[in-house]
Amino acid sequence: RPALPLRCRGAAPEKAPSRRPGLAKMSAAEPGRFFCTAGRGLEPFLAREVRARLGATEVDCVSGKVFFRAAAGPGELRKLRSAERLFLLLKKQSPLPVSGNKGKMLHEIKSLVVEEPKYWLDIISVWRKLYGHKGKEDNVSQENPWAPKRKSEEETNIASKRQKMEQVRAVVSEECQGEAGDRCVVPERMSDQECQIESKNSEHTSKGSGENPTANEQLSFSFRVSCRCSGAIAKILTSQEIGRAIGIALMKQCGWRADLRNPDLEIFVHLNDFHSVVGIPLFRLPLANREYIKTAGLRSTVAWAMASLAEISAGALVLDPMCGLGTILLEAAKEWPDACYWGADISDSQLESADGNIRTAGLMDKIELLKASVKALPLPSESFDTVISDIPFGKKFKITTDAQLLPDILREMERVLRVGGTIVLLLSQDLCKRMDGLTKCAGSDSPEATADGNSEAAPAKAPSVDGNSSSWASGFGESFLSSRRFGSLVPDGVFGVSLGKTDAFIHKYRKISAAGNW
Amino acid sequence: KLGHPSELPPEPAPNYEGDEEFLRRVHHVLLEVEVLEGALQCPDSGRRFPITKGVPNMLLSEDEA
Repeated sequence: RPALPLRCRGAAPEKAPSRRPGLAKMSAAEPGRFFCTAGRGLEPFLAREVRARLGATEVDCVSGKVFFRAAAGPGELRKLRSAERLFLLLKKQSPLPVSGNKGKMLHEIKSLVVEEPKYWLDIISVWRKLYGHKGKEDNVSQENPWAPKRKSEEETNIASKRQKMEQVRAVVSEECQGEAGDRCVVPERMSDQECQIESKNSEHTSKGSGENPTANEQLSFSFRVSCRCSGAIAKILTSQEIGRAIGIALMKQCGWRADLRNPDLEIFVHLNDFHSVVGIPLFRLPLANREYIKTAGLRSTVAWAMASLAEISAGALVLDPMCGLGTILLEAAKEWPDACYWGADISDSQLESADGNIRTAGLMDKIELLKASVKALPLPSESFDTVISDIPFGKKFKITTDAQLLPDILREMERVLRVGGTIVLLLSQDLCKRMDGLTKCAGSDSPEATADGNSEAAPAKAPSVDGNSSSWASGFGESFLSSRRFGSLVPDGVFGVSLGKTDAFIHKYRKISAAGNW
Repeated sequence: KLGHPSELPPEPAPNYEGDEEFLRRVHHVLLEVEVLEGALQCPDSGRRFPITKGVPNMLLSEDEA
């Protein structure tokens, strides 16, 4: 079982061990191994992003995670837009062997996580120096020095109150987004007995100097284990059992105390049929929570992914004709600020919130809002380079897009788009299926494929006569809008993504000619 | 027309490109003034589209559409 002491993380073994304080660099020129969790379907976007943004190497995509190596500081890492959470990778190994013997398995798991205290001290001190102490507040700048003495006294008071058997669990719900098959687990609960150990430890105050605070920190150091397991392992052991076992072992080994709400350190353990992974989150909040967005609508990671498909270049005009809270426009304008963004919506309340979002993000001069209907856009034909939209659907929204409205919506989108421009849409599975009725399958030429209102798809209009269907299958699914119905729109990719509770599809189209010329 | 009637002439003067003062005022009106309450008017039909809290309402009524 390969242990991964810190000194091996560098590119060459001769490299000086990172734990020596003098050599740790604030600008982190030193490569580190990381992984991110990602909503299902966003892994390819994230893989592309870490390569492009961070020059990452050794990029490895699995379901729900992307592993990579990069020489990047916290400021750059924080800019990742298609990731849920970011972790320092401590261990990645082959999956744990599953036996019927719970005790044996727990022993295996513990030996995965529990090391000599020195191992953890090394990791923590490097992690702190490189990435800053997370602190109890989330907007504390990375550069603030940690003051052990002051904090530990506070912590002692707060922590001992908390340790009085609170029933409240901190639920890490963001991690559950879109991770199929995984059981989302709340951090382990400690028993009464364990709590007594904790309060004993936390009575020690530290007189730590800045020089070598680690020994003193250890005494009042708090942690939490977040454990997720799925697959064969989950049939024998629950995440809670595993988390608890690891927690107890770490406490015994390192003398830390558990703090579910506000730990100094969170240890993330993920066990499934493909690998066993141990990591430390670098930031308290998921990257998917944007500090520049006041009212969240569509998941920001999905919005960013859609914008990344649209090929926004400098000086481009970008339209979201059903912008809602403006999430797509905000993500796009932040990432590609050299373009002009327009948003339209028919709802006053949505526009008001969108306006609030735009002001909070400081993007007033980049995003223009209109109250207008997507079915009758007050915009000149062929005036936009790209149209990006999340077409409302599902019970969550008050206005559910009827399949009947789709042709009208698409017609206007196509009209305002210039030739060569792109359309990127987010559609529900339902809408995709219903749109099937608008199109014909490849190879069939009969014009009556689309009924008039009576078919299950209920489209209102008959298709145009010219017919090369160009339904296009990508690895994720089929294109449902062939160029038959909208002669000038050519499908250019379909990407299935998870929106947490539901699944959806990102469809990309390109306008190859003006509608009349097809 | 935008509440600055005294500052802008109704039409650009013949050599407006060279008129710094004029250009500065036009720039200000076009790029620095945000209309919070007011209206847009279609030059052809005269139809007014009210602006509320900075957002123009361009919805057409049933008959207009």
